[in-house]
Amino acid sequence: MSLTYLLRRSGLMIYTLVVVSLIVFGITQALPADAAVMMLGENATPDALAAIRQRLGLDQPVWMQYGRWLAGVLHGDFGLSLRTGQPVGAVMIEALSRSLLLAVLSIGLMLLVAVPLGIVAAIRRGRIADLFVSVVSYVGVSFPEFVTATLVVLVMADWLQLLPATGYVPLTEDPLRGIRHLVLPVLTVSVILVAHVSRMVRSELVDVLHTDYIRAARLKGLDERTVLFRHALRNALLPTITIVALDVGYLLGGIIVVEEIFALPGVGRQLIVAIQARDLPAIQAGALIMAATYSVVNFLADLAYAALDKRIQYA
Amino acid sequence: MTAVLDIAGYTLDYALPKGGSFRALENIVLTIARGEVLGLVGESGSGKTSLAWAIMRYLPGNAQEVGGTIRLNGEDLRSKSPAEIAAIRGRRIGMVFQDPSTSLNPTLTLGAQLSEALVRHRSLTLKQAWAEGEAMMAKVGLHRPADMMHRYPHEASGGEKQRVVIATAFSCQPECILFDEPTTALDVITARQILDLFRRLQDETAVASLYISHDLAVVATVADRVAVIHRGRLVETAPVIQVFNRPQADYTKRLIAAVPRPDRRLNDTTADAEAAPLLEVRSLTVRYGQESLVRRLLGVERERVLGNRAVSLSVQPGEILGVVGESGSGKSTLARALTGLNPFDGEILFDGRRIASAGDMDRAYRRDVQLVFQHPDSSLNPRQRIGEILSRPLKLYGNGHEADFPQRVAELLEQVHLPRSFAQRYPHQLSGGEKQRVAIARAFASHPRLVICDEITSSLDVSVQAAVIQLLLDLQRRFGTAYLFITHDLNLVRQIAHRIAVMFRGELVELATVGELAAGPKHAYTTALIDAVPAPVG
Amino acid sequence: MPELLARLLRSPQGALGLAIVAMALLAVAVGPLVAPYAPEGLFPLNRYKAPSAAFPLGTDQYGRDILSRLLHGARATVVMAVCATALGTLAGAVVGTASAYWGGRGDEAIMRTIDAIMSVPSLLFALLIVNLLGKSSVNALIAVAIAFTPAMARISRSVALTVRKQDYINAAIARGEGAPYVVLREMLPNVVAPIVVEMTIRVSFAVMLFATLSFLGLGAQPPAPEWGLMVSEARKFMHLSAWMILWPSLAIAFVAIGFNLLGDGLRDALNPRT
Repeated sequence: MSLTYLLRRSGLMIYTLVVVSLIVFGITQALPADAAVMMLGENATPDALAAIRQRLGLDQPVWMQYGRWLAGVLHGDFGLSLRTGQPVGAVMIEALSRSLLLAVLSIGLMLLVAVPLGIVAAIRRGRIADLFVSVVSYVGVSFPEFVTATLVVLVMADWLQLLPATGYVPLTEDPLRGIRHLVLPVLTVSVILVAHVSRMVRSELVDVLHTDYIRAARLKGLDERTVLFRHALRNALLPTITIVALDVGYLLGGIIVVEEIFALPGVGRQLIVAIQARDLPAIQAGALIMAATYSVVNFLADLAYAALDKRIQYA
Repeated sequence: MTAVLDIAGYTLDYALPKGGSFRALENIVLTIARGEVLGLVGESGSGKTSLAWAIMRYLPGNAQEVGGTIRLNGEDLRSKSPAEIAAIRGRRIGMVFQDPSTSLNPTLTLGAQLSEALVRHRSLTLKQAWAEGEAMMAKVGLHRPADMMHRYPHEASGGEKQRVVIATAFSCQPECILFDEPTTALDVITARQILDLFRRLQDETAVASLYISHDLAVVATVADRVAVIHRGRLVETAPVIQVFNRPQADYTKRLIAAVPRPDRRLNDTTADAEAAPLLEVRSLTVRYGQESLVRRLLGVERERVLGNRAVSLSVQPGEILGVVGESGSGKSTLARALTGLNPFDGEILFDGRRIASAGDMDRAYRRDVQLVFQHPDSSLNPRQRIGEILSRPLKLYGNGHEADFPQRVAELLEQVHLPRSFAQRYPHQLSGGEKQRVAIARAFASHPRLVICDEITSSLDVSVQAAVIQLLLDLQRRFGTAYLFITHDLNLVRQIAHRIAVMFRGELVELATVGELAAGPKHAYTTALIDAVPAPVG
Repeated sequence: MPELLARLLRSPQGALGLAIVAMALLAVAVGPLVAPYAPEGLFPLNRYKAPSAAFPLGTDQYGRDILSRLLHGARATVVMAVCATALGTLAGAVVGTASAYWGGRGDEAIMRTIDAIMSVPSLLFALLIVNLLGKSSVNALIAVAIAFTPAMARISRSVALTVRKQDYINAAIARGEGAPYVVLREMLPNVVAPIVVEMTIRVSFAVMLFATLSFLGLGAQPPAPEWGLMVSEARKFMHLSAWMILWPSLAIAFVAIGFNLLGDGLRDALNPRT
């Protein structure tokens, strides 16, 4: 991986973050909500409203407001919540740590299940195992998270009474209960990802198994295990890094729904609350943090890919 | 002499998805003795590759072996279990593949791929295998083998990679090695070096070799005996000299007649060297790519890739100008520039008219200058019927009334010896040769004065190629069309061209008449190129 | 067209997908006519009923017939998803093809920006836009269409670029064809097929995204018989009747699977070389 590539990819990430901040700020700015009215209530006097508008900079041109907001964000200051009056940044960062726990566990579970499924389907192509994985993935990608979550709660919490339906307990407080509360959300978020990634792993591996170099490896007399693990998997799983990184987009969307359903106080839930309350600084902070997470993950994935893939010399 | 490889009465079918089966190999009988090279020659679809897979016991799931034996030093390979076969592959039978760029794993070092066979079959430790691998690399003529061991495939040239593949095949001292078109994917000069290496190793090891190729000229230079395969049957098996001098089977005779030979001119016309040139190219330069912003900021200077560097040449009316060179020599770039597909510097004079850029190429120029591409699969729109494809130039250049188009299309098809009914077909319903004929018919629809042929026969079998070349020469005689005939095949172009331009790394290094070239080239590269081309015996 | 249908029916995915999508479209067309009851018809004495002869799929918390609501709701869910996807595809195809045709730095700038926009997850994007426009079905449609545009632009561009590199395009340019002919007659027929395939698969995303928006209270509003909304409302009565959750959930998944299968089937059927 060359310095040029590193610099260019970094430049791209910064560009991405700027565009994202513009989108988030633009959409929230256009909202037909008056922050001053929301803070002081409908009965505030015009003088008081004017004063608070001046204090918040709402009387300045839009691009000045964007500049102020961005400057604040860069210093970790996302503004005060219109709903609670508390600094939004601290709340969101704390929520982010819970969401990340959910995300990391889900990706971990997904990889544990999806990669072996994809491998089995590819090497047993056209057999029952392949058909099974194919059915599982068709079904998996077709259930939206809220449906999966609802059904999982119905079965595991309502009928079988095995696990709690909602709530959150910090792992530091009570690890066992904390984990029990995380099982269903993690399960729900993983389903779509498993379906998607196992399909990708299968098709990548099928392609690799049809390459000339795999044939060459077999005709050298290498046993099938060496061919699979030494020659095929490396090439097949490399593109999966990128696919998983792109799937983080779905994951984040899924997290919004799942946190809402399971009352898990992460960024997603904070965001829904903020949207319902039209709490502009909170919406901005939540959306920006989510999109930034996505672009950072993709940035890291691309670097990892470039470092691992010996073939491509990034100009 | 006892046979190392002995195939007797071998017959192979492939089950078809819609039921029934297709006979790929019929009653194959052949033997290869120790130290012998048997050349297996056939065109695409002849079954030569199926035979290789059958020997390697690497047949697809729908293969049905009807009968016969395949013996390696007396042991029947067909009765071996998969585990026994795995122990034989690479150890007792080696294989060298067509394309070294796809037959090496891109994520493993060359050393790892060479030494793993040694670890597997000769029970060496990793360290011993690595040392042995390094020795093998030196043996196949790779410079700095220790360094090469640590390289990845993308860090080596095509020739170097093929040497590594050959080193791997020889490393376990097998009794028999199959060579599946090992030089087809390589450039002429590299191919020649690989052939030399093959002969040297063959002499040193006395391995029994099956050398599979579509190229009779190559087989003639390396093989002791030749087996000619056609539609799954061996039509003739005999010593090389005999096959080339006194071929018995009709198919062999046709095949040999189709092989391009520089001493057999196919073109008896002469071009008027005194006439005003039809096309004149003056210091044409093509640059590829654009400067990158980051590079500029970093101050990293990289010269933009040069496709053509100040190329100057001319084509007389009715002349066939051959353009030869290896891949990347800029011959296709020239074709693209002349048809406005690449921006260029310099100027083109067509029939005295000055053309400084693609914008100057008006309808008259485009009608007069037509282009035929290498791959007919790509150059014919898969969603248009042949009739639609052929009537388009008629419409574009205003040749007659639309009502006459079906008649004109039929004439065009007959001109290239295709049935009229093909107008109703889609390209994918035609064979490669038929598609290329359609592409030629399309080019001739506008009665052009210059047709640029960009490697138009290189994806075709030799007999199909011969027929297409004959067609081109007929059309040239009939219409007086000039050709810019781009190819990598020096033998072929020497049969048909009046003059030949030799390109090397974007530059035109030599431009001479066929006679001058035969008498002795001036440029060192041309000499190397001519020396590297195998001349068919007989 | 009959040829395409025959090819489609040859693959199991294509046949199954076509059957499911045809059923969904049938429900859209005649569902309200064949539904046994009105979608808002209340039967206060028959609340939380399990399936029976009178109510084939049971009833909900107000004693409304679930089958009738599903049949009426097909329009809200399926038609909206198809429209939103079509809209997003159209916008994306225009941007993507233009970018591919433009090439060079312009293309680079457009694609980098599209990449940047795509780092806002679709659901989040849709949430923000609905929030901006206000909660309603039409606004949800616009939101989903906008959220799909960048991805479709990316796909259209890559398809257009692949086609653009083919020699039949070069041949057309070399023989002096004008831009309209090259784009409309040579490129478009080859570009449309892969885009239609991608669009079909995306309809299933759209079905799920709509249902999710309604579920979160940002799409269709009660008492509309929208499937996502039905699941959302039924959740509160989970312990009284599981059927209320099950049927609309299955309906959503069923339609999503149908479009997924149909897309994969079309991919094979539209390939002229197989």
